[in-house]
Amino acid sequence: MSARLERSTFRAVGTNCAAAVTAGPHDARRASAALAAAQAEVAACERALSRFDAASDLSRLNAAGGAWTAVDRRLVEALRLALRAREDTGGLFDPTVLPALTAAGYDRSFEQLAERPARRAVGWRAGASVELDETAGRARLEPGAAVDLGGIGKGYAAVRALAAMREAWPLLPGGLVDLGGDLALWGETPERSHWRIAVADPRRPGTTAGVLLLRSGGVATSGRDVRRFGPGRSLHHLIDPATGEPARPGPLAVTVVAPDAAEAEAHATALAISAPAPAAAHVAGRPGISALYIPRDGEPIPLGSPPLAQARFVVRAA
Amino acid sequence: MQRIWAVVLSVWAMLAIVAVLAWANRPVTSPAPAAAAQTLVVKGANGKQQQLVVVQPGAVGATHATTSTSGVVR
Repeated sequence: MSARLERSTFRAVGTNCAAAVTAGPHDARRASAALAAAQAEVAACERALSRFDAASDLSRLNAAGGAWTAVDRRLVEALRLALRAREDTGGLFDPTVLPALTAAGYDRSFEQLAERPARRAVGWRAGASVELDETAGRARLEPGAAVDLGGIGKGYAAVRALAAMREAWPLLPGGLVDLGGDLALWGETPERSHWRIAVADPRRPGTTAGVLLLRSGGVATSGRDVRRFGPGRSLHHLIDPATGEPARPGPLAVTVVAPDAAEAEAHATALAISAPAPAAAHVAGRPGISALYIPRDGEPIPLGSPPLAQARFVVRAA
Repeated sequence: MQRIWAVVLSVWAMLAIVAVLAWANRPVTSPAPAAAAQTLVVKGANGKQQQLVVVQPGAVGATHATTSTSGVVR
């Protein structure tokens, strides 16, 4: 018997999730343990990182009024990644946009949003200070600041879940974690080949804009095609840190390939509020990432060299 | 002379087929790759047959996952 893909699906972090491992005919128990470990790790990340759970570590930190707060190590690590991403994206990604986001009307989980007009956060500015004490496992925000780890939290959870699978099954041949389109993947598929990741085409629901071929790394997609809110669902769910308001420029959707899913998410967020030319410059300046940018009008634009499946032709004698 | 024209025409015909296939398999707008390579048999002017094989490297099956802007299910 040959290898096959063992898969589990579950709901977490506000979306549909899946984990999958390449398993041989005698690996059922190991595969089951790995998949359970992935789901448990995603749940642990959600308990630490969700801003919609009043008891989460992040909610406690946001409510601490600038005091040092002991938090789960996952939150400390995710904050460190988010601060690095803020620096790496030149502030296009900023985890401290939460006050602007809630002022704009995105103040509860997405499906509960009311159609009320957007407001601008009074006195809000981008780049609020976040201090981390990794040794003691605590964090402190500048008074008045609040953090939303949204997308990057999902990417981080995907990375952690993949690591949990590899820990549960040290000889795991290959695996994939999918948290609502944020993907962490590693190793071999059952066909001993690349993982094939379809990029959904937001212009034609149910179709694919391309297929990525990957051995490892992370993939994330962001855009304005699904999550809109406010009057007539006209507002982007992403805040432009430069204005403090829902973003105006940007593609319908953009998919980023990066060395890991958290990094992919941060850059997808940055590109999702960027016009095509700045988006191309952003990717050109970062050799580790590539992207497929789907504008509101026109054809998808590959930025960098996304590993898209392409046809080739061979002529041979009959 | 007639033979030269036949060769020229057959080369152009082959290039046209390649162009049509390339257009039909644009990577960023096509759906998931086909499950198997496609083969066309092309007959040359001298009667010799050639196979034109369209290969989708590494993409011989269904996709493993889809990336998209995440929806809301809760």
